[in-house]
Amino acid sequence: MDRTLRLTYKKCEKIYMDSFIQQLINGITLGGIYALIALGYTMVYGVIQLINFAHGEFFAAGGYVGVICLSFFTGLGYMETHPVFCLTASFILAMGYCAYLAVGVEKIAYKPLRKEARLAVLLSALGVSIFLSNGLMLTQGVYDKAYPSELFQGGFHFGNVTIGYLQILIVSLTAILLVALNLLVFKTKIGMAMRATAQDKTMSALVAIGSNRIISLTFAIGAGLAAAAGIMVGLYYGSVRYDMGFVPGIKAFSAAVLGGIGNITGAMLGGLIIGMVEIFGAGYISGEYKDVFAFIILIAVLYFKPTGIMGENIDDTRV
Amino acid sequence: MSKRCFSTLLMCVLVIPFMISMVSAETLKIGSMSPLTGPYASDGTDIKNGVLTAIEVFEQTEGPIPGYDKIELFPQDTVCDPRQAVAAANKLINLKVVGVIGAYCSSSTIPSSETLDEAKIIMITPASTNEQVTDRGLPYMFRMCGRDDDQAPAAAKFMKESLNAKTIFIVDDKTTYSQGLADGVSKNAKALGMDVVTHDHVNQGDKDFSAVLTKVKAANPDIFYMSLQGYSPAALMTIQAKRMGITSQIVTQDATFQPKFMEVAKDAAEGVYLTYGFTDPTTPEYKAFEEKYVPKYGKIAAYATYAYDSTIALLKAIKAAGSTDPDKIKAELMKLDFNGASKHVKFKENGDSGSSYIAFKVVKGEFVPYWEPEKGLIK
Repeated sequence: MDRTLRLTYKKCEKIYMDSFIQQLINGITLGGIYALIALGYTMVYGVIQLINFAHGEFFAAGGYVGVICLSFFTGLGYMETHPVFCLTASFILAMGYCAYLAVGVEKIAYKPLRKEARLAVLLSALGVSIFLSNGLMLTQGVYDKAYPSELFQGGFHFGNVTIGYLQILIVSLTAILLVALNLLVFKTKIGMAMRATAQDKTMSALVAIGSNRIISLTFAIGAGLAAAAGIMVGLYYGSVRYDMGFVPGIKAFSAAVLGGIGNITGAMLGGLIIGMVEIFGAGYISGEYKDVFAFIILIAVLYFKPTGIMGENIDDTRV
Repeated sequence: MSKRCFSTLLMCVLVIPFMISMVSAETLKIGSMSPLTGPYASDGTDIKNGVLTAIEVFEQTEGPIPGYDKIELFPQDTVCDPRQAVAAANKLINLKVVGVIGAYCSSSTIPSSETLDEAKIIMITPASTNEQVTDRGLPYMFRMCGRDDDQAPAAAKFMKESLNAKTIFIVDDKTTYSQGLADGVSKNAKALGMDVVTHDHVNQGDKDFSAVLTKVKAANPDIFYMSLQGYSPAALMTIQAKRMGITSQIVTQDATFQPKFMEVAKDAAEGVYLTYGFTDPTTPEYKAFEEKYVPKYGKIAAYATYAYDSTIALLKAIKAAGSTDPDKIKAELMKLDFNGASKHVKFKENGDSGSSYIAFKVVKGEFVPYWEPEKGLIK
């Protein structure tokens, strides 16, 4: 009797452990997605102190360009023969398209207001967000668009734990993009120009840094990262829809604030924390309160450390 | 072009619609309310399309309504938000519509029907299955679809008798409809001796369900019952459940009855069961609807057929009443007894038109009738 009880206990413990690991993997994946989107918020804020509310829409647009490209390749039959090429091409096209879109949005909606009060630009950003999401709805329809590819659908199984290939792809791509971004910002001339513009636009202009070009570049990079996240979300969840940018946009914004807005590493960390807290809150306490947990953490951190975990950098490391 | 010239031109263009409406005063106005934007925009658009098809078919087969040249629809967007729904209802009251088809979400239908009731406007819902819709004794409230307190027992009976289920894990997304139905299923399943392991909730608009699905996997129930508002979260949850290697049988409900469900979930949708009102696709009435609907709007989805029948019923009653007096139209609606595209339409005293829930199974990307409460398996 005692032995069976102990066995049952052991079995329960194993199931408990398995689901803990599974939840950890889920949390890292979701956190990676939030982190990629959060980078765009944080970079734009770092350079021009604008909370770009339209950022979530670049993410959605990226998802849509991805589904259009992949459907096109599937139609041509290239998907079976050259899957890696098709995927890379879709990523590049989506990232490029969203980068252009972001630069255009900046030129039309933000640049003319740069000298005005900050609230005006903020409202303009909200307007652009509504415009883009409804534009997506009108051009792409109200229905979900399914991703055609069956690529990467499988996964590794370790007992009861499943690690999807897509989860690995998301996490590794996020890591690569973060490293690349860090190198760009801290090791290159462009990065130095970005940091200079963030500190003082007038002064950097005096030393021949084209601040307009740098601001455009910041928008382009941020939107490109969001587009990459959009495709990954599309592949991971199997579909995209026109309003998909809203909720992740809010979460990623929270992640950026949590990590310390303006700070790249902070955005990554914030994204991971929000993703983890959400998954563990939903997994171990209650699914209906998962957003509540994410925002409780945000409020708690801001209460004790208003500049966020990593702090808003005001020295030369700010982007 | 000078600025003034442009603005004059703009004003002219803006004035034209008003002039048209003044000239042809003999337009019969009806309204529709459904979410045309927001997360349930697709389901709401199906309803609008169903109503438009019905007007087209009615004008062709029954001719114009005496005293009116044409029938015009004023589609309103509720966004599945109770406040927007009430605002839409007020707008329709100001437009002086004769009747309203809608809304989609029960949480929109319930408050907006009270507003419409004060103005004595007939409302027929094609999609709101919550019991409260017709249980409040509103005289002008009608319902074309079934009721959740019929759907829940049918679903529980199906899981018990056909699937021999002992344990169930229920997940809903906390709308009046989805949570109400999930509670009903839970109650009925317990009454039939099944064990409801957990009843968990997710949020509307969620895309990532990995946390709750990990719980399902650990619990390993016989049935994983999803009660979600709309096909979109259901498709996402099904894909993620299959990917995670959940082997529990997935059972879901009427909101998932949308061809897009299979289009998004693809292979993961295979073998999913769901309960939905029985519609015979071989009747001439259904064929007439299909003929007009499919070329314009694509595959027929969840509530388009009910929206179509609701509109036909309303127009028939208006024509028979020969006036726009709501009490006369109501009297005619109660007298109606005809074969609609979705079912035989005959309203009961409380405004319901009866439920006919059966279980469907997804086989090769199609919803196939599988089981009915009285006779069991459908061959």
